[in-house]
Amino acid sequence: MFDTVSEKAFLLRQLVKRDLTSKYKDSVLGILWSFFNPLLIMLVFTAIFSMLFGRNIDNYPVYFLSGRILYDFYSSATKGAMNSVKRNASLLKKIYVPKYMFSVSAVCYEFVNFLISFVILFGVMLITGAEFHWTAIFAIIPIMLFIILIFGVGLILAVCNTYFSDIGHLYNVFTLILMYASALFYPIEIVPAKIQAIFTLNPVYSAVTCFRESVVYGLFPDLSTLSYLAAFAFTVFGIGVILFNIYEKKLALEL
Amino acid sequence: MGIFNKIKNIFNPGANKDYANLLDEDVVVNVEHISMEFKITRDKIDTLKEYVIRTLKRSKKEKEKVRVLDDISFKVYKGDKLGILGFNGAGKSTLLKILAGVYEPTSGNIQIKGKVAPLLELGAGFDKNYTGKNNIYLNGAFLSMEKHFLDEKFEEIVEFSELGEYINYPVKNYSSGMRAKLGFSIATLVEPDILIVDEILSVGDIKFRKKSSEKINEMMAEGVTVLLVSHSISQIRKICDKCIWIDNGKLVMEGEVNEVCDAYIANAIREKNN
Repeated sequence: MFDTVSEKAFLLRQLVKRDLTSKYKDSVLGILWSFFNPLLIMLVFTAIFSMLFGRNIDNYPVYFLSGRILYDFYSSATKGAMNSVKRNASLLKKIYVPKYMFSVSAVCYEFVNFLISFVILFGVMLITGAEFHWTAIFAIIPIMLFIILIFGVGLILAVCNTYFSDIGHLYNVFTLILMYASALFYPIEIVPAKIQAIFTLNPVYSAVTCFRESVVYGLFPDLSTLSYLAAFAFTVFGIGVILFNIYEKKLALEL
Repeated sequence: MGIFNKIKNIFNPGANKDYANLLDEDVVVNVEHISMEFKITRDKIDTLKEYVIRTLKRSKKEKEKVRVLDDISFKVYKGDKLGILGFNGAGKSTLLKILAGVYEPTSGNIQIKGKVAPLLELGAGFDKNYTGKNNIYLNGAFLSMEKHFLDEKFEEIVEFSELGEYINYPVKNYSSGMRAKLGFSIATLVEPDILIVDEILSVGDIKFRKKSSEKINEMMAEGVTVLLVSHSISQIRKICDKCIWIDNGKLVMEGEVNEVCDAYIANAIREKNN
């Protein structure tokens, strides 16, 4: 069972497809909501925060969106992976399916949404007349590292959440703190210098910084930030894989 | 097993498995000294708050271990039809779930050769909003089938399930019989080497019941290995050629089907009279 890669790949495609179709079931616009939903939310955020911080930052909508789409991806993908095992409990108690497939599919599903919000970001860049930089292709490096980080965090949370159901509630608060600690909608300069040092420890902030440098400012991402992100991402990923492997078989007993 | 061993096993799967016994070509299922324990507490701690408070107050109740299976070993050879007998709560379903890979035994080894089709829970992975057609692919994926295989078998599945036009309707509108028919049709078309069945031969109406038992007979004629749990002794006598009897998690008897069935019935009558 599930010995070959192609069997797993087919299952993964089916799972992602199921998530995509079931989310907007019975809505008139259907899958188009995957596009409109983030667009409308971002319009609201941009309108509100432009008034608050708009004067300090050039092209505020692009500044805000470039951070926000990464944070949204992180928050929804880790939460999706966290609930993935529990949500499929009834199935996992009956037949054998590798449990990590559900966590992986949750992250892949959110990755699809992330790609859609990319379209929105580029649309906003076009409308606001932002400059397009060739360095934007380097953004792929922080994004890859970011995905590795998300997989690691997601696997750890999936195990913890199966044992303790309140991890989910705690994590919601944690992501809120993370949002404010990622300098999404305000300039980092308004933060006191001492506290800025703490910000640099936040891997989401590192990813956002690298992403903005390459896409918005036309720079090569800062190497030290990038290597910090890489070290953090691979460590968390390693812990996640090991933890999940140890507990995978036991999880069926806890569901 | 220490945590380091576990980590080592991740990178070297199968390191502590003993493959020597599998040199015997004809053994398809090899169960060696399997024990299964469930930990149960009278009040389960499943929130972090409670866990922390109980740990601080040192009032964590000792977990009780319930031994559902105790040192069970048996071998199934290719083409065997093995019946599994036992009263309710004897551990039969747990054993099947271990064989299907849902649970990992607390101790002991298990080796299985070939593709397993667990007919434990028909249509367990159905998405109720999906049409029958989409569910064939989704459920097929859960049973580790591939797209081209399902494409090939699609017509056959639809025809066997007798759903006709309804295949294009969402499964939430199906009757439970229709759901079971579709689940059965998908699960049996895997061309499995080993069929694990838990009281399932009575699916759908009388017409489909006849058809499904014919299908199972046909598969058995092709040499599929069958593991069957049933409370119907006549069914076990009819289908199986070997039998094991489990009571309270222990293997009581193993052998030729009629011998074991006779002993089982004699025991049941004795217990009833007491």
